[in-house]
Amino acid sequence: MAEEQEKKQPEKPELKDMSAICPIGEVLVIAEHILGDLQPVTLELLGAGRILADKMGQPLLCLVMGHELGDMPQRLLDHGADRVYVADHPELKNYRTLPYRRVVCDFLESLPSQPHTCLLGSTTTGRDLAPRIAAHFDTGLTADTTELDIGPYEHTSKVDPSKIGLYPNCLYAIRPSFGESLKARILGPWKNPQMATTRPGVMVPLPRESRKGEIINIPVNLQETDHRLTVKEIVREVAKGVNLTEADVIVAGGYGLGTQDGFNMLQELAGCFENSAVGASRKVVDLGWIPYQNQVGQTGKTVRPKLYIACGISGAIQHRVGMSKSSLIIAINKDPDAPIFKFAHHGIVGDCYQIIPEMIKQFKQAQSTSGVKEVVGTH
Amino acid sequence: MASGYKIIVMVKQVPDTGSKAGLNPDGTIDRARAKRMLNPFDKFALQAALHTKKMYGGSVTAISMGPPPAVEILLEALEHGVDRGFLLSDRRLAASDTLATAYALYKTIQYVGDFDIIFCGLQTTDGDTAQVGPQLAERLNLPQVTYCEDFSVQNGEVHARRIIEGGHQTVIAKPPLLVTIANSYHPLEYKSFRGAWRVQQLQRKQEELAQYIKTVTLDDVGADPERCGLKGSPTIVAKTEKVGELGGSCSIHEGKAVDELVKEVITGCNVKEFLAAGKK
Ligand SMILES: Cc1cc2nc3c(=O)[nH]c(=O)nc-3n(C[C@H](O)[C@H](O)[C@H](O)COP(=O)(O)OP(=O)(O)OC[C@H]3O[C@@H](n4cnc5c(N)ncnc54)[C@H](O)[C@@H]3O)c2cc1C
Ligand SMILES: Cc1cc2nc3c(=O)[nH]c(=O)nc-3n(C[C@H](O)[C@H](O)[C@H](O)COP(=O)(O)OP(=O)(O)OC[C@H]3O[C@@H](n4cnc5c(N)ncnc54)[C@H](O)[C@@H]3O)c2cc1C
Repeated sequence: MAEEQEKKQPEKPELKDMSAICPIGEVLVIAEHILGDLQPVTLELLGAGRILADKMGQPLLCLVMGHELGDMPQRLLDHGADRVYVADHPELKNYRTLPYRRVVCDFLESLPSQPHTCLLGSTTTGRDLAPRIAAHFDTGLTADTTELDIGPYEHTSKVDPSKIGLYPNCLYAIRPSFGESLKARILGPWKNPQMATTRPGVMVPLPRESRKGEIINIPVNLQETDHRLTVKEIVREVAKGVNLTEADVIVAGGYGLGTQDGFNMLQELAGCFENSAVGASRKVVDLGWIPYQNQVGQTGKTVRPKLYIACGISGAIQHRVGMSKSSLIIAINKDPDAPIFKFAHHGIVGDCYQIIPEMIKQFKQAQSTSGVKEVVGTH
Repeated sequence: MASGYKIIVMVKQVPDTGSKAGLNPDGTIDRARAKRMLNPFDKFALQAALHTKKMYGGSVTAISMGPPPAVEILLEALEHGVDRGFLLSDRRLAASDTLATAYALYKTIQYVGDFDIIFCGLQTTDGDTAQVGPQLAERLNLPQVTYCEDFSVQNGEVHARRIIEGGHQTVIAKPPLLVTIANSYHPLEYKSFRGAWRVQQLQRKQEELAQYIKTVTLDDVGADPERCGLKGSPTIVAKTEKVGELGGSCSIHEGKAVDELVKEVITGCNVKEFLAAGKK
């Protein structure tokens, strides 16, 4: 019976217009930098935020906290923000949860109305800060999104009848889940700001163009309890020497190599290729098998070579985000269920210590047959 | 106990995604059929809690929120040397998002009592948000250290190393505080024979076990049901969609002689293009 009625009334006139609950509004991006180094994810968020703001015909705001930020506010304008709010204070020089949390909460509370959307990077900083802001304002937060959009939502669940209705402008926060096999669209249409953290390396930044906009300084009122934690030291290992990001071919090793010596074999394999380099997972960098410069992944380098050979690497999400855009990925792993086989192009199930020497052998053979002409030519 | 730390460790039971049982055809988890396990990340938190107790004295309380079978992971924690456990279990908690979860856990912690350090896992393998720890810290008005991979106490101050993009940082804070432990922390030690035996004995006498593991409801901990479950959750999962595995399909090469496998891959793609010119 109920079903038939619904068929006759495809318009569903009973759905109330709920646009007053979460009205359209600005999009706010919270900027991130480490030791004065603006993080690429911030520019990516500005690119994504620009699209959302334009859809709603609203301004794109950016909040940056720090000390002596130089031309950073202008750069944020140049990459798409209409208004940049600057909180400058010596105590904000380096990220700490509580002082940054204080500034963001005070800032949002000072606004006449809440932004529609608030975005942070899905980094060790963004994922540290965003949940605190969301909890403070009792608003929804979607983790680690890879797609963002604005669209309508019809809420028909009868659990809370007061919520039934049509919400015309919701933030669609889309995130991979269950080992990336599903995409979940998460909504939080009951309250602004609708918050999300976004995975680095996914959104596309706008090119830097000289753009006009407003730069506004905002007050910083830290309290004693904001200083309960101090930063003793920050170690940022800036990569030198190895040009991982420019290599055409990367041969990367993980914990499956078993020992540090395994990297000698990888070096030899890399040596078979033109413009090649050796990469690694964080686990083996932490073990001291290979320097930090060689680390690929969320907290290492993002690389995009033509060929990536992963040896004894399980394919954890933090590793994957640094290399999944490689044109061709070959994975060697002895576990047929290793996650890396879900996104590599070719997977060899086997022991590195059998496969790699055989690869080196076959590549060398291929070289000596195809390289004959050049040998003659160069002599 | 006059000295030492009152330590709390937060543990969650998750579906065992490693086992194929309990997966629906569309890729979602059938929670009724799926095997269950202790969230793998929480093992690192458990290790941090037990190690801190071993080094500096004190007691460890494990807290979990979940349906009745979640008592299994509290038993497991007990076997590893945790002193007692609390399970918050209530139908009204169904469909809680991270905010509602953090609220319910916050009320449970207040009910359990005083503490110095709360350890959480970095994230779970099901919701995978890494949000509950910091949201709990916000509710409790605590400083936090997330992504922690090394932890010690010196002269009453916590020294913790946390992962950051491009390296790590060391931070110092006095308890009380909340710490989320990353998977680069030390792995959980095997449970002792004594621990396992003790729990086995306890399970024979339910009344005695109840002294160590207590199941509580929203009413017990004084939580407002309006702020829990679907009602208290600002987010909803509106839609899920199955996606082809990332990066398309992987051709798997296996079960052949090594030279065959390698030849197959080399001929299967254009690897040779990238080879350096041959040796002189
Ligand atoms: C905040 C944060 C940031 C992180 N950043 C990064 C990052 O930037 N980069 C990164 O890589 N990780 C990062 N990680 C760590 C990441 O989660 C994984 O722990 C790490 O990538 C695992 O490294 P692995 O694959 O070498 O080791 P494991 O996960 O231990 O995998 C080893 C693999 O080798 C296979 N294997 C074993 N023996 C053999 C053999 N003989 N032959 C072939 N295969 C074999 C096994 O089957 C297994 O799949 C980060 C983690 C966190 C929490
Ligand atoms: C596919 C999917 C996507 C989701 N996405 C979101 C989202 O984007 N935003 C959102 O708000 N909710 C989301 N949820 C809901 C969320 O998973 C639940 O709220 C869950 O109760 C807690 O989140 P988590 O598993 O991500 O925990 P995390 O925040 O990843 O857990 C971190 C740590 O907190 C502690 N902890 C977490 N839960 C418990 C517990 N029940 N008992 C004891 N300790 C605990 C543990 O120490 C754990 O290691 C999603 C759920 C699903 C299934």
